[in-house]
This record gives sequence, C-alpha cells and structure tokens, in this order.
Amino acid sequence: MQAKPNIILISADSLRANHLGCYGYSLPTSPNIDAFAGQGALFEKVFAPGIPTQPSHTTIFTGQHPVTHGVVAHGGKAKLGRGTPFLPEILLGEGYTTCAVDTLFRERIWFGRGYEYIIDPSLHHLFYASVTQEELNDRAIQWMKTVHKQPFFMFIHYWDVHYPYVPPDRMRGQFYKGGNPTDPDNHALDEWWDHPVGAMAKDTWLRTPNGLITDPNYVTALYDREIRYLDEGIAALSDALEKEGLSENTMVVLLADHGESMTDHRIFYDHYGLHDCCVQVPTIIRWPAGNLKAGTRFAPFRQLFDIAPTLLEAAGSDLPEDLDGKSFLPQLTGKEEPSGYDRVIGCESTWQSKYYLRTDRYKFILARYPDLLGNPDRELFDLEADPGEDRNIAAEQPQLVAEMEKELEAWIAEKMEAAGRTEDPVTKEGPVAVEIWEQHRG
Amino acid sequence: MEQEPQKQASVDTAVPEPPAKPDSPRLNPDAADEPEQVIRPEDEALVVERLRELGYIE
Repeated sequence: MQAKPNIILISADSLRANHLGCYGYSLPTSPNIDAFAGQGALFEKVFAPGIPTQPSHTTIFTGQHPVTHGVVAHGGKAKLGRGTPFLPEILLGEGYTTCAVDTLFRERIWFGRGYEYIIDPSLHHLFYASVTQEELNDRAIQWMKTVHKQPFFMFIHYWDVHYPYVPPDRMRGQFYKGGNPTDPDNHALDEWWDHPVGAMAKDTWLRTPNGLITDPNYVTALYDREIRYLDEGIAALSDALEKEGLSENTMVVLLADHGESMTDHRIFYDHYGLHDCCVQVPTIIRWPAGNLKAGTRFAPFRQLFDIAPTLLEAAGSDLPEDLDGKSFLPQLTGKEEPSGYDRVIGCESTWQSKYYLRTDRYKFILARYPDLLGNPDRELFDLEADPGEDRNIAAEQPQLVAEMEKELEAWIAEKMEAAGRTEDPVTKEGPVAVEIWEQHRG
Repeated sequence: MEQEPQKQASVDTAVPEPPAKPDSPRLNPDAADEPEQVIRPEDEALVVERLRELGYIE
C-alpha cells in the first residue's frame, strides 16, 4: 500500500491566472510554473468563492463557502467558529507533521489552527507582505530536510506578487515596452489616487529618484516582474524537493487566493470587484506517485472550497460532513471523467459588498450596498461576447437578470439555513473598509 | 441543488494550448533609464500605518 503523500500547499497571494504562460499570457512571466504545470494537472477555471485574502484562505482551509463559515470580509468582525473543520487540524489528527511558513495567524488566530510548527520570517519586516520567496524558501527547505516524521503537510504563503510591487532591481527592463514610466503629463493613474491604497502607493513605492511612476503599463510590468521572481522561487522549491528525494510522493498544490485587477473596471492594482481578473485563480497540482497524467488540463468549473476535501482524500482521511467542497481526486487520478460545476457563486464584503453568480456564458453581480465607483446594483456580462466584462447588459436582459437574481437569492437562503444563519453575512458585515475610502475622498 | 458537479467532456482535446513564448524575457535596451525602486523603512512604516487605518492589518 502506498504511503500517505506529503502535501505542500502553496498560496501565491494575488496571482492573477491569465498573467501566467500556462494560462495563456503572452509574456514569459512563468517558465518554471509552466514546466511545473506540464508535470502535473492544471485547472483552467477555478473560482474563489470569497475574496480577498482572509475570506479566501478561510475557504481554502475549511472547504466551506463564506456564507457557510461566515468570514466574508478582510478585516471584518466575523470569527471562524471553533467547530468548523480546518484542513491542517484534520491532517494533524491523521498523523501528519504540520507546518505553516506564513503570516496569516498574526491577523486572524484561526489561521494558526492545527500547526505543530509555524515559521514566519516576515517578522524581519515592518510589513509582512514584504517578505520574499527567498526568505520563505530558506526556512521551508531547511524544515523539509530536518522534519522528524513524515508524512508532512506544509503551507507556504508567498507575498511577492501582492502590492507593493518592488521586484529585485536586477529585473529592471523586463516586460516594459518602453516609454517614460515617470512622465508627469501621464494622468492615467490619477483616479487611483482617490483610493486609500492608491494614495499609499503614490506616497511610497511609486516614488522614485526619477519622479512618480505614472505609467500604468510600467506598474503592470512591475507586477509581472514579481511573478517572474516568484517563478524562480517555485523552481528553487521544486529543485529542493527533487534533491531531497521527496518529489515522487509529495503532492504539491499551487494556487492563489484571488487574482489582481490591473486597471480593469477602474480598480487599480488591487483585489476587489468580482470580475474574473480577481475571482478566477490558477490551480496546478503535481503528484508523481499519484498517477496524475502529466500535462492534463481540466476545463470544468471548480472552486477553492474543493481543495480541502481533495487533499483530505489524498491523505486517506474521512471527509467531514459539513464541507461545501467536493474532492476532485478521482478525476486527478483518472478514475473518473473530468466534471465540475455548471455555475459558481461568490462574494466579497471589504471595499464593496456584492455577490456574483457565474455560468459559462454569463456573470451576474448583485450589490448589497451601493459601491463607491458608481456601478449599478445589478450588472450582467455576456462572457462569450465580452470576456473582459466591460459592457453591462443588465438593462438589455431584464428577464435573465431577474432569473439569475432569483436563483442567487435562493442559493444564499439555502446556504444560510444549512449553516443556521438568520442574516446574510455579506449584508451583516457590510463593506468594512468603505468608510475609510469615503473619508479619504472627502 | 444547482452547484452539484455536472459531467463534462474530457478537456484534453477541447482546450487550446497556450501560445508559444519566447525563451527568455525580452530585455528592454532602455532598462538603465528605468527608475530605481527603493522602498525605504519609512515608506514601509507608512504602508503599515495606512493599512492599519484601513483595518487591513492589525
């Protein structure tokens, strides 16, 4: 009987799927991640049921939708219930040695649940997201070499791609088509300064000896350089696994908690808004001993709450009954045909409080509160004709809007009832950061 | 329930491969003219202060 696999769960914070070569990006940001995908399985359409970081990671670890576990906002008031299943805690009970190379427990205590070891090199920085892949890898690789007992579960949370985008200086020149990054007459980013995160960027990491960075193409190039830097880290980690003889029976999962808007939808270099640039995430799994067919690509919809049950099944654990997610392990190993969801639902409640319902063809977005960008409370996008979700056709398709809204509300009501909730958590939490934004705009 | 998994056809042949890429990043000959980014300790402290105000970090 095959030994239980080691499991390494990698979360690349803010990594937008379609800025990776293996997801169709035209620039060479990710040669090593692309190679990694070629050795394993790539899921083309995985969606985050909740964004940004705290709701999404809570979903990844619980296998539950945010409406079920209740954590719908980053920095919100809701706390995760102690009885909610939590991936590392279950794996610990299954005999795994568990380790997080991560910062999240400093923000919300439940992110520390179930770990025998927590390693946090970000303590050497004022801002935890300044920690680099090299610092994380140094500790993670050393821990893998010396762990006293296998199998192990390790969670590594890379922050390189999260703002501020300050890639290594040696990457200057990459991915920028030329021009003047600090042209004072370029006002394409002016609207961003009205947002507190944009104002922060303007006052800090966009300031250079040459002047303020004003060209959005240059900021996007900085983001892409951060991906390339992260890509080097994935290669280093992968090489270390190979060198230590751990590669064969270690299941490595690379995913993101959410994507990133560049300038899409007037949301600048941030991760809110329920458009695909933010809610569609990369998900790649490599596990040589698991009989995964190398280079397989899965197109059916999956959601991040499917990760926990999949890893638990790989670990030979019984699945808790109160998971929303469903294991796709039998599909990974070829025992079942690829399948998925015909529609996905997600939410956010940080800069704005909204839900989305997405089918293969349409995306419907419903606001619980008016947003500060002036978007209507109901938006509908035809993803076939308008994959960038640039043209709201809600007024042209009132019947479809009504149908999708009815379906969405029924789903929310059903989930709330199943979770024993009497109030919609998105409505209850409200957009927790919006007051600061309003004050900032005066 | 509408979110139950639905059987779909295998995607091995249905999904196009990503476009071919050059072997290495294109180096911009004007790279030396690009601004040097240096995030100073006081900048990082300001980032932390602003994100605390937002409730993003504690």
